[in-house]
Amino acid sequence: MNEGNEAITGAGPQKRAAAGTPPDRPTLRSILAIDEREHLVAFAQTSRGKLLIVTVFTGLLMTGQGAAWWQSLLIGAAAAACAYVPRYRALTVFVATFALLFHALWFPLNGIDAAMRQEHVDVLSARTFACIAVVVYTFTAWGALTLVRRHKTLLIARRPVIALLLIEAALCGLVCMPVVHGLPRVLLWSYLTVFTANIWFFSYALVDQRSRERSPVLFQLGLFHPFWGSTATPWGKGAAFLRKTLAKTPAELAVTQLKAIKLLTWSCVLLDLTSGLAWVCVSWLHIPNLESVQAAQFRHHPYPLPVAWASLILDTTFDALWLAVWGHRAIAVARLAGFRLPRNTWRPLESRTLAEFWNRYYYYFKELLVEFFFLPTFLRTFRNHPRLRVFFSTFMAAGVGNALYHFIRDISLVATIGLSATIESFTSYLFYCAVLATGIGLSQARSSAGPRLPSTFSGRFGAFLWIWTFVVCLHVFGNETRFYTLDQRLSFMASLVGVN
Amino acid sequence: MDHHAKADLRNFIKTTLTSRGDDSDVTDSDSLFISGRLDSLSMMTLIVYLEKSFRIDFAEVDFEVGLIDSVNEIASFVDAHLAR
Repeated sequence: MNEGNEAITGAGPQKRAAAGTPPDRPTLRSILAIDEREHLVAFAQTSRGKLLIVTVFTGLLMTGQGAAWWQSLLIGAAAAACAYVPRYRALTVFVATFALLFHALWFPLNGIDAAMRQEHVDVLSARTFACIAVVVYTFTAWGALTLVRRHKTLLIARRPVIALLLIEAALCGLVCMPVVHGLPRVLLWSYLTVFTANIWFFSYALVDQRSRERSPVLFQLGLFHPFWGSTATPWGKGAAFLRKTLAKTPAELAVTQLKAIKLLTWSCVLLDLTSGLAWVCVSWLHIPNLESVQAAQFRHHPYPLPVAWASLILDTTFDALWLAVWGHRAIAVARLAGFRLPRNTWRPLESRTLAEFWNRYYYYFKELLVEFFFLPTFLRTFRNHPRLRVFFSTFMAAGVGNALYHFIRDISLVATIGLSATIESFTSYLFYCAVLATGIGLSQARSSAGPRLPSTFSGRFGAFLWIWTFVVCLHVFGNETRFYTLDQRLSFMASLVGVN
Repeated sequence: MDHHAKADLRNFIKTTLTSRGDDSDVTDSDSLFISGRLDSLSMMTLIVYLEKSFRIDFAEVDFEVGLIDSVNEIASFVDAHLAR
């Protein structure tokens, strides 16, 4: 999965030439393999090479969407400082992360906004409440990490995820209680918003406290939505993973940084591809978006079936491209900083099983579910029933863990539409999780029994068709808008296969 | 872990890597999971292998992937478990 090691161990074109082997006919892959060319790796270790790499990288960052020029400059400079001034790595990560956080609060403020309206509190803006919550949260997280280091028998030290989920539930229960109102409720909502946004980052940090080589608290806090980017899922996981993947020699660093440039370039290409696809399909072919197609279906004025299918496939494709573009961008920045991280998305079209697809499509989300849900279940249950053990553990991860993750991520809905409406709007996603988990669970259990994976072209094409048909159909239910109920989505799915 | 058990372990790792299409060399200190050469499915088979070969009850272990990320780390982990 990780192509981080290939360049260091693999034979590049120059190595083949030096060994007297006749050079292969150049392929696109070999032309693009800049990280395998010894003279480039050597140049990347010189002062001029380093300057050129950082300049090119920052320039590429500026061409992408989503960040102002000064943000790109800050990100590039912070990554370079991490790589070249390791003594101040923890401080650099902390400062860069918090500078970006306070400039552009990335977490949803609609929960705080709703609480302010409901409580008629307008002494400060939602943004200011969020900033205060960030400061308070940072100190409490600092305190909790210190406490866990000293008292390893506490529940939060032994079972960090369970403890954090209990705190989340307690905070959520508290803000829903009628006795809590006015300014205290708004302050609680602000804290809950920040706590929720960081819950999985905090989990990784707490787990790392058990390690003998744990990283300093400053570094751990700097990894809560690190400056290279992430969603609610930590892209790059936690400090333990980053320590392990850190480039250890100047040559490894150079290779990692050349890979960073390649990956960022690929991200820019995919971004252009996404724009091109949008232009062709939306502006030129006038394929409506999925929400419009669903709305038309429920108004009893459905679009023709080919248009509905095209819209569904396009929506799934855009989701996949978005994930690849932003995942590649974030991992590229982390690689420039010297972390030899695996990609978030790695050739999902080549998956031969559903379980493999999950691994290739959203690596860090899968890792989160494996680490916090799959392994704890697998290590403790059904030891004498191997296939049931695999299936049940997979179901706990891809089903229960996945559902919990998304429910918690959208906790602000509780403030805006209420708890019961939030749960009701979540039924479709629960169905999605149950079907996905069953599919992946069966795929995992089957793989563990050791059947041969398809290797012929027709076999692989068949696997591609099956996997992507499953993914596209399931997208009807997994689409994260909360507008439609499970019944409505089921009837929409039925209409797609001609059942009305 | 004696030489024979370590050789068996190396053989198991090599077979697992080969089954995933990874024929490149692996040294005793090479990262297996964190580097991404092996995935969670392979981790399951390794855990089952260690459970059966060394009677390790992972329910009692404060598990983290770093414990079994290389042949050397697996050997140290098994030694620590057997020394209890």
